Amino acid sequence: MFMARSEYDRGINTFSPEGRLFQVEYSLEAIKLGSTAIGVATSEGVILGVEKRVTSTLLETSSVEKIVEIDRHIGTAMSGLQADARSMIEHARVECQSHAFNYNEKLRVESCTQAICDLALRFGESADGEESIMSRPFGVALLIAGYDEDGPSLYHAEPSGTFYRYDAKAIGSGSEGAQAELQNEYHKSLTLEDAETLVLKTLKQVMEEKLDAKNVQLASVTKDKGFRIYTDEEMAAVVARLPAN
Amino acid sequence: MAAMFSQNPLMNGPNYSFNDAPRTAAPEGARQHRFDPYTDNGGSTLAIAGADFTIMAGDTRLTSGYSINSRYHPKLFKIGGTTADQKDATIVLSVVGFAADGEALKERLDAICKMYRYRHGKPMSVKACAQRLSTILYQKRFFPYYVYAILGGLDEEGKGAVYSYDPVGSYEREQCRAGGAAASLIMPFLDNQVNFKNQYEPGSGVGHALQERERKPLTRSEGEVLVKDAFDGAVERHIEVGDGLQMMVITKDGIEEVLLPLKKD
Repeated sequence: MFMARSEYDRGINTFSPEGRLFQVEYSLEAIKLGSTAIGVATSEGVILGVEKRVTSTLLETSSVEKIVEIDRHIGTAMSGLQADARSMIEHARVECQSHAFNYNEKLRVESCTQAICDLALRFGESADGEESIMSRPFGVALLIAGYDEDGPSLYHAEPSGTFYRYDAKAIGSGSEGAQAELQNEYHKSLTLEDAETLVLKTLKQVMEEKLDAKNVQLASVTKDKGFRIYTDEEMAAVVARLPAN
Repeated sequence: MAAMFSQNPLMNGPNYSFNDAPRTAAPEGARQHRFDPYTDNGGSTLAIAGADFTIMAGDTRLTSGYSINSRYHPKLFKIGGTTADQKDATIVLSVVGFAADGEALKERLDAICKMYRYRHGKPMSVKACAQRLSTILYQKRFFPYYVYAILGGLDEEGKGAVYSYDPVGSYEREQCRAGGAAASLIMPFLDNQVNFKNQYEPGSGVGHALQERERKPLTRSEGEVLVKDAFDGAVERHIEVGDGLQMMVITKDGIEEVLLPLKKD
C-alpha cells in the first residue's frame, strides 16, 4: 500500500495512475489507530460496545463519549477521530428530525446510514451545487445500530462513503482479532444477553488494559426501549457476568 | 384574496386571472392595472372512509365566473405510482379551488412520492404522505396554493383513511369530508348519513335519556349511493357543480375509477 508514493497522495481528489485515492485510503488507516468498537445484531435488538482508553487515572471516564444517540431508535458507536464524527452525527440527527417533521414517521436505519455516507465524499473542492464542508476525508468510522419497521439492523459506514449491513462487526485498532472472534462466535439465535457477553468478551481479548466496568461502554437498541446507553449499575452487572479467565 | 376564504365566489363577482381595476374608483383618465393570481374554478369534492375502502369523488366541471371552461377536467389524481398511468398507485389526491394550483400541487406531491420510493426503498404510507402534503402547503404560507385538498387511501391496518386540508396545510384525519363550492351543501348531509348526527333511537327516552343511533361503518355500495345522492343534490342547488362525477374507490386490490354523468345545466 505504501509503495510508489508520489504527488498523487497530496491532491485530495486526484486519482493515482493505478486508480487510487490515497487520501481516502489513508483515512481508513486513521481508523485502525482508534479504539475498538463492536456491534452485534440479534433478533431482539442490537448491542454496541466500545473500549474507552483511560490514559490517566485522573481522567473522568464518563467524559469519554464514543456511543451517542442519533434518534430515539438509532444510535452509533465510533472509532477514529472523535471530532470528525460530530459533524456526521449532527447531520444524521438533523436528517432524522427532518424526516419525522416531513413524514410523521421514523427514518429507516438504512436511509440514515445513507445520509451519513452522503457527507463522506464532500471534501476538497466543492462540486456544483454541493457545498464542501471538509478539506480532507473523515477520519472516523461508525457502527450505526437501529430498530425500524424491518426490525433491528447494524450498519458500518466508512470514510470512503461505502456502507454495508452486518450481523456483527468490529472496527478500530483491535478490529482484526475481534472480527475473527465474532466470526467464530456469532450465530443467528443469539439473545440480547448473549450479545452483551459476546461484545464484552471480544473487547476483553483485544484490549490492552484489563477490562472493567469503567473502561468499556455498552448501549442497546431494542423495539420497546429504543436506543439506551447502559448505566453504571447495568455495566457492572454485565461485567460481573463475564467468565473470569 | 378575500375571495379565497369566501364560500360563495359569485358574491364577489366573477373572478378572472387578469382583472380590470374598478374603473369608478380610479381618477378621471387614469386606469389601474393589477395582477390577480387566483381564480376560483368552482366544483366540489367528497371523500368517505369505510372499513376496508375509501371513496374519493369530484365533479368534472371547470368554471370561471359564469362560464364553463370545461365539462371534463378531473379533480382526482392518483399519487405515487411507478408507471406513467399510475396503475399501481395506492393514494388519491383530490383538489378543488384554483385548478392550476391544484395541478401544480399534484405534480409536486407525486414527484416527492417517487423520490421517497427511491430513497427509502418502500412506497409512502398515507400517513407519511398526509404529513408531507401538510408541510408542502405550509411552505407556501404567504402565497398559498388556493386549494382545498383531500387525501385518501388505506392506513397501515388496511382501514380507509381520509385526510382533509385547508389551503395552508392544517389537516385532520376524518371519516368523511366534502370540499369546494358545494361543501356547505354536502357536508351536513354527510354528517347525518355517515356519522348519523341528529339521529336517535326511536322511543329510547326524552331529553338526556335519548339514545343516539349506533354508528356502524358503511358498506361500499352504501357509500357509493351516498356519493351519487350528494352530488345530485349539489348539482341541483349550485351552478358551479355538474357535468360529470368522477369517483375512485381505493381497496387493497387497487384503485377503481368510475365516471358517471351529472346534469349539464
